[in-house]
Amino acid sequence: MDLSQVSDRLASAAAKVLEADAAAVLLWGGAESGPGVAAAHGVAAEALPLTDSREARDVRLPVAELEQQALPPGFATGLAAPLRHDGQSLGALHVYRSRPAPFRPDEAGRLQALAELGAATIALAQEEAHLERVEASKAQFIRVATHELRSPLAVAQSLVRNVLKGYAGALTDPQRDLFARISGRLDFLESLVNDLLDLAASRAPELAEREEPVVVNSSVGRAVLLLLPRAEEKGVALIIEPCCEELAVRASEEGLDRIFVNLVGNAIKYTPTGGRVTVTMSRTEEEIQVRVADTGIGIPAEALPHLFEEFYRAPNARRFAVGTGIGLSVVKELVERYHGRIEVESAEGQGTTFTVTLPVLGAGSCRL
Amino acid sequence: MPKILIVDDDPDMVMALRMPLEANGYEVSVAASGEECLQQIRVIEPDLIILDVMMETTTSGFQVSLQLRSPDPESEYAAYRHIPILMLTAIHTTTSLRFGPDEAYLPVDDFVDKPVDPDTLLKKVRALIGG
Repeated sequence: MDLSQVSDRLASAAAKVLEADAAAVLLWGGAESGPGVAAAHGVAAEALPLTDSREARDVRLPVAELEQQALPPGFATGLAAPLRHDGQSLGALHVYRSRPAPFRPDEAGRLQALAELGAATIALAQEEAHLERVEASKAQFIRVATHELRSPLAVAQSLVRNVLKGYAGALTDPQRDLFARISGRLDFLESLVNDLLDLAASRAPELAEREEPVVVNSSVGRAVLLLLPRAEEKGVALIIEPCCEELAVRASEEGLDRIFVNLVGNAIKYTPTGGRVTVTMSRTEEEIQVRVADTGIGIPAEALPHLFEEFYRAPNARRFAVGTGIGLSVVKELVERYHGRIEVESAEGQGTTFTVTLPVLGAGSCRL
Repeated sequence: MPKILIVDDDPDMVMALRMPLEANGYEVSVAASGEECLQQIRVIEPDLIILDVMMETTTSGFQVSLQLRSPDPESEYAAYRHIPILMLTAIHTTTSLRFGPDEAYLPVDDFVDKPVDPDTLLKKVRALIGG
């Protein structure tokens, strides 16, 4: 539950338990923000008089009757309990009655108990909101930094490739060897930066907020189209067997694209020249499956349980190509965010098949 | 000799593109911004435009391609609508882009992935304009 849900429940529970006509949760806010109404039940938030006096923030204050000027218009009596947690005053829980029936001491006790419970929950929700903000700004920073890193890196790689392909004149053998080493190091940096970008993007909160119906066929198609040049360059056949109908899932387009670009990109990367990568789609009543199968180096059985762990790379993958071990952990995180699952079958030296299963949006008649 | 207009604000990237193209007999001109591209296009009348999608100027590569490919018959660039556009980009930054010669979303003919491999670049250029 987030802060506003916690506050809403607390206010409505207080009104119910105290047989009051209205209730409100007031939170003092941080040093820079003033006091605010976190929840109002049975009364308009704007109608509540806000006090931010020093004594209101005093954590030792007991439950007290509210003075007339502290009541919203139309109410005759009110009771306030401090919301305190860990020696800190977070705010106050108010209940209001429109009839002039003062609260009894046992009612004050009940409000006190409710306020103590509520304060602990509010403190937890506040802490969680704070952590989410920190996480979001961290992800944002990594995104910006990674873009800034990518750009000069791509230029350096492009220039070195020109030298290696002889466009800057003939190279001696030692020169070619040195430039090939430089090129290899730059390629590694590139994969590191790309994976960091994926990692940051998969954790950015805006990705979760932008979830909408996305057509899986198009997402898979885009990934294949974008990676086709890479497959051609390497001499790996990239084959897509599309599904007969458009199948939508609830996801963010960017996130879904990342899943398939990663899986198809990996398949090309770990398949030697002359091999084949096949992407197929199928569906059942409720699910859509996308299979990315390659004839590549495969994954040793002992590496399979660790495959989706951050930074883990199978020993044969380490020998075969540069990488960071971030990509698949990001893929798994995204697939699970969209309520799907990912499975892998592999035989070392023969190939690997990744299967992504996602719940399909809306029922269709066609089946493969 | 086919003429190619490179639109990129990074002089080093321009150099990486220019080398293999000139070595293969293409005549290369450079525009450092989207505005410069739209001006030069009338003077040079290129056979192909290589456009960087991520320029940090007011008119991005994205906007330039939309302007050039505007379906409006009254468009001031209507005469240049047919010029093929090769967009320079990075897979990781464009995963959500749709593209195609007549797509409203990103009207380009093909992509070149960054970092640029000179042989791949030449293959794509030849496929679009020969030479």
